[in-house]
Amino acid sequence: MSTAIVHPREVFPLAPEGGRITYSSAPPSAPDSRPWILRFARVPDAAHATVKPPAVYDNELQMSRGLYDGPLPYMQTHSPTIPDGNPGNPPPLDEGAKD
Amino acid sequence: MPTVLVIAARDDWPTDRVVKALTDGGAEVFRMDTAEFPQELTLAGRLDARQGWSGGLTTAHRAVDLADISAVYYRAPNPFDLPVTMSEPERRFAAAQARAGLGGIITALDCRWVSHPAAMSRAEYKPLQLATARTCGLAVPPTLITNSPDAVRTFSGDVGAPIVCKPVATPVFIEDDQLKITYTRRVTEDDLDDLRGIDTTAHLFQAWVDKAYEVRLTAVGDQLLAAEIHAGSDAAHADWRSDYNSLTYRATTVPEPVAEGVRRYLSHLDLRFAAFDFIVSPDGEWTFLEANPCGQWDWIEHKTGLPIADELRGTPA
Repeated sequence: MSTAIVHPREVFPLAPEGGRITYSSAPPSAPDSRPWILRFARVPDAAHATVKPPAVYDNELQMSRGLYDGPLPYMQTHSPTIPDGNPGNPPPLDEGAKD
Repeated sequence: MPTVLVIAARDDWPTDRVVKALTDGGAEVFRMDTAEFPQELTLAGRLDARQGWSGGLTTAHRAVDLADISAVYYRAPNPFDLPVTMSEPERRFAAAQARAGLGGIITALDCRWVSHPAAMSRAEYKPLQLATARTCGLAVPPTLITNSPDAVRTFSGDVGAPIVCKPVATPVFIEDDQLKITYTRRVTEDDLDDLRGIDTTAHLFQAWVDKAYEVRLTAVGDQLLAAEIHAGSDAAHADWRSDYNSLTYRATTVPEPVAEGVRRYLSHLDLRFAAFDFIVSPDGEWTFLEANPCGQWDWIEHKTGLPIADELRGTPA
């Protein structure tokens, strides 16, 4: 077990309230105040995004099931982080740090 | 009855695969998301001189005694869903109580963890990852983390080869109503001519490592499941996350010195799962880039046939 002293939030980390990625309409600021690396940030190519089948969580199965006949959702998609740039469809945030 | 506690977002479909593998193998599973607490999940934990934490975690569909939990699979759950009628101060108070109460009891469970959340949190930090990898005998690229433009120029000169810049923390953010990502950037001379903004926060620079291909090594317990990732475009050559459609995969083996280093790394940070990224040079040397304690693995299993879910099933049981 780690002996490092960490903040209580980090002992039991959860996604932040309001979603894993904070929504903002604010535009980029000026070069002097904007983190340098963000000048290379880009909107992902929506054409490469993975479309997930519609699904609902089944409390008995303890997993998602599709709205229609067919394989369970997890069997239909194997999507790595391929977002489409839509803030309402963020990537699964498990590549990189979670803050 | 011994039960595996799975704590994950309901829409985390790779976790569905783990639940299915566990239940197909005969394990008892209690899956929850922390977002179910306190409105859909009831906690009644008791501790006394006779035994440690016991009592119930109960939903409308099932219940588990804390004393019966033999293993926990923990994967990025959601925040507590508190009543909307609460005031903001009440929400902050209640969230802190929930974290310390529910989270405190769960993290106090003396059982197998994949992985303990405190260990995962700590292992998220790239500087710690790099230092640990180096300590454990893995090759790491020369690295600079700084908010000094002068330090960047000095580092670039000292390296005497191309350098890259990458985010130290999450690469994803939303601004201007758009979701954006910062991938690894191979720094050009023009980039170095204008370093305004370096001083606004920490930036991570590394020496560019010549690569034949990269490897995603998924470590589950003692099992090291490695896949070569071959880039099919210039963008993917710099950062394979930027162009998944160009990638091809192949299961591969891990050189023993690297395997030993990885196992030392896992032990050092008390992890039973991590997704390691390596560069493999044209002469076959493996260089550690990072190890994500909550990395994605489902697509690697799909592309290569590596039995990651089965190994995860075995590890928590």
